[in-house]
Parts: sequence; structure tokens; C-alpha cells
Amino acid sequence: MTSRMLKPWLFLLPALIIYLTVIFVPAVYTFFLSFFSWNGVAPHKEFVGLGNYAELFTQDTVFMRALKNNLFWMIGSLTLIMGAGLGLALLLNKKLKGRIFFRGVFYFPYVLSGIVVATGWTWLYNPTQGFVNKMLALLGLESWQHAWLAEPDIALYAVFAAAMWQGIGQPMVLFLAGLQSIPHDPYEAALIDGAKPYQSFFYITLPLLRETFVIVVATTLIASMKVYDIIYGMTGGGPAESTQVLSSWMYSQTFKFANIGMGSAIAFILVLVSMTIIIPYVYYTTRKSYV
Amino acid sequence: MEELRVHPAVKVLRYVFLIIFAAIFLIPVLFIAFTALKSRADLMTSPFYALPEKFQWDNFLKAWDQGKMSMYMKNTLFICLVKVPLGILIEAFAAFALTRLNFKWSNSMFAFFLIGMMIPMQATLVPLNILLNKTHLVSTYPGIFLVYVGFGIPFGILILRGFFRTIPKEIDESALIDGCGDMGKFFRIILPLSMPAIATLVIFDFMATWNEFLLAQIFITKDTMKTITTGLLAFKGEHSTDYTLLNAGVLISIIPTLCVYLLFQKYFVSGLAGSVKG
Repeated sequence: MTSRMLKPWLFLLPALIIYLTVIFVPAVYTFFLSFFSWNGVAPHKEFVGLGNYAELFTQDTVFMRALKNNLFWMIGSLTLIMGAGLGLALLLNKKLKGRIFFRGVFYFPYVLSGIVVATGWTWLYNPTQGFVNKMLALLGLESWQHAWLAEPDIALYAVFAAAMWQGIGQPMVLFLAGLQSIPHDPYEAALIDGAKPYQSFFYITLPLLRETFVIVVATTLIASMKVYDIIYGMTGGGPAESTQVLSSWMYSQTFKFANIGMGSAIAFILVLVSMTIIIPYVYYTTRKSYV
Repeated sequence: MEELRVHPAVKVLRYVFLIIFAAIFLIPVLFIAFTALKSRADLMTSPFYALPEKFQWDNFLKAWDQGKMSMYMKNTLFICLVKVPLGILIEAFAAFALTRLNFKWSNSMFAFFLIGMMIPMQATLVPLNILLNKTHLVSTYPGIFLVYVGFGIPFGILILRGFFRTIPKEIDESALIDGCGDMGKFFRIILPLSMPAIATLVIFDFMATWNEFLLAQIFITKDTMKTITTGLLAFKGEHSTDYTLLNAGVLISIIPTLCVYLLFQKYFVSGLAGSVKG
């Protein structure tokens, strides 16, 4: 090897070593651990093959619940959060007074940590003192009051509402950026041809936002697979495991119950689902050389 | 533009809608601020929408002391101040190799780093825990920086490589003629030219590090090293009945992020916009 061939590797080396140590090798090792039953301290790991996976899908009702909750989170994010983000972006793309202010208002919760949002919203949902119930009382809607985070039937929706408050700004800003890159000409031509506003929207705006949609959808899907902080901070997966998601259930199995094999299997399922979402996305973007 | 034909009533409706929506976003924050400024007695008796009878600025001091917030803030700031530049330097070295040094493997190596973005943090925690325990790096700064820098690498390389590619190749040739080595090229040409991309990355990385929770929860067990996110949670348990202090703590903890956001709002938006256009 000449020094010329070595040089790129020297520049790559620090990143490569850390990446291998922190992400790649551990992920492979997790996959390996998912075939064992192990409590994390015993010297012996018992090989169980696909046993952990089989147990997750046949016996572990919490796992199925967590998977469903992730799915709910995904669909909710794709419809409600993305839809609201697009709606606000369309409104704020017009020449309006104070649009910088509005943009700031809708985006700022996104810079807060999940734990801060969780702590604040737990207080807003407080059954006796919290804003939500007090407000309902003020409006004469006492019958709508709930112990929002303590009732298994509604806790997940309550947490999702907080996540929506936090997350709408992200797609909004991305859509705004996309909208601003659309030229005026097609709209003018459409106007001359007598197109109605909704026609311009469906035949010009939406198709030209396609690239933005790819990015927003991909980031939304990945984020909804990884959701953790806000759930942990608001309900810890309860009440009665009703708000568990894959990552929180993985955390419980691994660090609370010391079922390392089971936790690893959940983690690997998380990888699998994320991969099936992101590989087509990476393929699409690299093929068109955006990355 | 279609704007010409818009009925005035539609314009008014837009404002009404935006104002209602903005109110929904801001009122919870106002409620938290009111709570933080009331006395405990006042909180129980006065209506929730009322201003505090007497503003209890003390609550912030109490939260700051009892919640050990100065310690948590200092710890988090220290981690950010080391992690962000260190991570970006390492990512920039790699991105430089991938884009500026004729290198047969550059595309496959880039793809290999990108895989990291598909691996959720959770899928690495157990092996990392074993590794850090065996090497006695749990709750030590080398251990913390190792994992924090590690998880920033795929995204950092993605952003920097994207930017480095847009710098014309001719610059490399003239640098070579002027007798610039690779190191000189990196520090004197590529880095200074990449300031916009680096600024964006600094802000995003600072936010991500400041807000990080999962890694801190697992790899920082020593209370004196805890960061603001995990610290806030401990605070919630200790003072679970004192909502005035809890909300004061929440407000204190968001001041740094809010400052960074307000100062660099432009970069936030342009950084995100950049990711749309690729």
C-alpha cells in the first residue's frame, strides 16, 4: 500500500472506529443476543433459537399492544401531524402580516426535549388542578373531564395530543421550504386557463411537493418507530401497559426485568421495521442523487 | 397569482384560524408560567386563568436550588461544548475523505455509514452497556463522549458530505499548485468554505445533545454527572406535590434551548430547507 492509498483511510479512521464501536458492532451483537435467554449477569447464555421471537408474537400480549401502538402513532403522525403541518404551511406561505411570528409559535415546541414536553403536559392533564379539566369545567363540560393519563382507554390519545403539539412545526417548516421552491409560472398559466384554487392545489402544488413528501414521510415514519421520551415521561407505558410502544417495552424487558434476550429480540424487530421503511427511501434518494 | 382573486372574507378567516391555532399553542405555556409564579396556597384557591396574586419570583430560585438545576445545566453544557465540536471535526474528516481524496471505496463507505441512520439507538444499548461496564466507562466523560459522538456520526457525515460535494474540484487543484497538503486543504479551504453547513450542524447537534434522554438515562448513573433531561425527571419525583416549583423548573430548563432557537432561527429553517432540496 502506498501512502497515497492510505491517506483517505487515515481521515476516515476516527469516525469509522467510533461508528463500529458504538453502532454497528453492538447492533450485530444485539441480533446475536436475541437468540438466547439471558439475564445479563449469569455466565451462561442459553440458546433458544427463534424462541424469543415466537414468544413475543404468541404469548407476550404487551408486545402486540406495543406494536399496535406504534402503528397507531405512525398513522396518527402521517394523517394528523403531517396534515396539520401541510395546512399551516399553505396558510403561512401566503403574504400575511405576522407570518414570522406564527411560524415561530408553531415551530418552537419542536426544539424542546421530549421530557420537558412530557413534564409540562402531565401538569396540564392533572385531573384536579390541570388546565385541561379546569378549562372543560369553565366551558360547562364537566362530563368530558377525565383522568387523562390514568385511564387505559384514553391515555395513548392524550400522550399523542401532546406529541402533536410538539411535532407539528417540523413538517410545517419542511413543507414551507418546499412550497417556496415552487415557481409562480404554473399558477399564472392555470389562472389564465380558468383553474379553480383547489385545482391548482391538486394539479400543481401537490405534484411539485413530491420530493418534500418523500422526506417528511420518511422522517415521520422513522420517528414514530423510535418514539420513547414523551411516553416514558408521561405514562412510563402505563396505565395497565396501555401506552407501551416497542422502544419502551424493550427498555422494560431489558433494564427492568433483565430479560436480555427478549429485549434484544424487540430491538431487532424495531431495526427490521425501520429498515423496511428506510431502505426504499434511501434507494429512491440515492438513485436520484439527492443524498 | 391566485392571491388576486381571494375574497376579503377568506383573508379574515385565515387570520381567525391562525390566531385560534396560535392560542392553542401558547395558552398551555401561559398556564405553566402562571403556575410557576403562584404560591402554593394561591394555586389551590385562585382560578386557573387568573394572574398570580403576588408574583412569586422566589419559586425560580427555589427550583434552581432544590432541583440542583445549576449542576444539571453545567453538566449538560459541558457535554455539549465538548461533544459538538469534537463530533463535527471527526465527521468532517470522514466527509473530506469521502469527497475530496480520490478513493475507490467512497460510495460503499458512505452507504455503510448511512446504515447507522436505520439502526435505532435501542438496538445497541445492551452491548454498549456491557462494553462500558467492562471498560469501567459508565458515568465517565470518555464513555459519555464515545456514545454521544457515535450516534451523531451518520447524520453529520450525511450533511457535511452533501455540502463538501458542492465545492468545486478546481479549488483542490489550485491548492495543490500552491503547495497545500491534504491537511492544509482541509483546514484552510474546505472547512472555512463550509461554514454555513457547519453552523447548521452545530445548532442541530447542540439541540439534539441538550435534549438527549435515553443515553443519559442509561449511561449516566452518577447523580453529580446527570444532564438536564434526566435531572428534571428526578426533580419531578422529589417534589411531586409542589407544582409551582416543578413548573418553574420546566421553564428554567428551556431557557437555553429557547435562546439558541431565537438566535439562530434563520439557520434552523434554512438547514431544514436545505435537507429538502438535498
